[in-house]
Amino acid sequence: MAGAQALWSDSSAILAQVEAGSLSAAQALAALRSCAEGAENEAEARQARVKAVLEELDALVGLREVKHLVREIAALIEVQRWRAKEGLVSEPVGLHMIFRGNPGTGKTSVARILGRLFKEMGVLPKGHLVEVERADLVGEYIGHTAQKTREQIRRALGGILFVDEAYSLARGGEKDFGKEAIDTLVKAMEDHRNELVLILAGYTSEMERFLRVNPGLLSRFPIHLDFPDYTIAELMQIAELMVRRRQYRLEPEARVKLQELLWEVFRRRDQSFGNARLVRNIIERAIRLQALRLVKRGGAVDRQELMALRAEDLRL
Amino acid sequence: MRRFVVVGRPNVGKTLFVLNFAGFLGLRQLEVIFREPDERLYLRRYQLGEALAELVDPEPHSTRCLQSVLVDLPAGKGKTQVELLDTAGLNNGIHPIPAIRRAIAQTLGVLREVDGILHVLDAAAIGRGEEEPGELDREVARFGRLRPAYAILANKMDLPEAGKGLAQLRREFPGQYIIPVSALRQEGFREVRRYVAEQR
Repeated sequence: MAGAQALWSDSSAILAQVEAGSLSAAQALAALRSCAEGAENEAEARQARVKAVLEELDALVGLREVKHLVREIAALIEVQRWRAKEGLVSEPVGLHMIFRGNPGTGKTSVARILGRLFKEMGVLPKGHLVEVERADLVGEYIGHTAQKTREQIRRALGGILFVDEAYSLARGGEKDFGKEAIDTLVKAMEDHRNELVLILAGYTSEMERFLRVNPGLLSRFPIHLDFPDYTIAELMQIAELMVRRRQYRLEPEARVKLQELLWEVFRRRDQSFGNARLVRNIIERAIRLQALRLVKRGGAVDRQELMALRAEDLRL
Repeated sequence: MRRFVVVGRPNVGKTLFVLNFAGFLGLRQLEVIFREPDERLYLRRYQLGEALAELVDPEPHSTRCLQSVLVDLPAGKGKTQVELLDTAGLNNGIHPIPAIRRAIAQTLGVLREVDGILHVLDAAAIGRGEEEPGELDREVARFGRLRPAYAILANKMDLPEAGKGLAQLRREFPGQYIIPVSALRQEGFREVRRYVAEQR
């Protein structure tokens, strides 16, 4: 959007030069034409980039509701832009969000993609993601918290500030410095309206309690995304993706073993159930155990063996 | 509502075309909205004859602001409203009078916003060799092709030598849609009506 705006103001400057008598009509038309062509190319390139980001979102395993809501948000931003261009009343789209879900359910991945989406759509200038938690925001003495929080906000300007386990900011009650961090964040949302998107993330139940205690926050965070736990089938898909990306392969009996392990964890799961993170830990451990197995065995190791993860390599 | 702008060099017959085209479409009373370069607006009501007498002038640059007329065009079984914008003529080089330069800037500004451009050229003057489609008209054509709709109106076809001028225009703008018209005699207006009504 910044590019298109620059071109538009260029074209106003061209008209001013015609008025001032320093450009002829023919020269001005040629200049206006290159402005229009530039704007068109820019718009096309931008659309292609938006499409690429959305495809990346689609490539994430599961998360049907989240994907749908992100597309709604993208469509709303686009339509508001069209409306503004037609001179219709266009509401600025509030983009601060609450992410609810267990760890390892894709919250950070989605936040990172949203940052890029907002950048390509011209909503945020940079679109990078700054991940923080309580310890990064809350200080140890009076005045320290505001200073630390402002420092994180400064890093996140132009992008997304992602506060993980945000409910912990309300942990200590009235006297806790967490309150000060919340107030500083809220103030930054007002002061940097067009250059900061804030995402508060955490466990579903804790986030609900957090918002109940801070009713003022609810209206400032219009978008709520729920990240459900992955199903076993989705976790298997994630595992396959991770393995392939690292140029390994799950042998058939390893696949059965992995599924059994996931069921075992799933049955006795609690809030600490690791979801995607659990899968990653298992796979990374399997890669180490495979290495150990191959080294212990000695002798020649062929390409197939270097890639194969066997059932015996998989452990919790 | 779609907006069509009528542009061209001074004295090619833009105003006469707009008024007579409105008459051709059945308007006897005209409401013309004048939009000054400083964005002041005013409205005047005319009988068609009065408008012709007052707004059309053989002197170049008698139109010095945007003059807008609303017309109804047939669309399927019903009709659709189109805004026709008459504009100050675009001249070659840089005009010495500031008010005319301001009007030219206004014309160029509105070119960016409209749905369609009707580019009027004086086919008779070109046929007589008094004028040739120069850099300005070529730039209008290049710009026009970027817009959703763009057509050339080869005007003054009622005059001798205009046929020669039309042939020259077809050579100059190969492949470009050119409608021969006589704004004075309302000739070629059916085709203009069809073209404008088709663009949506």
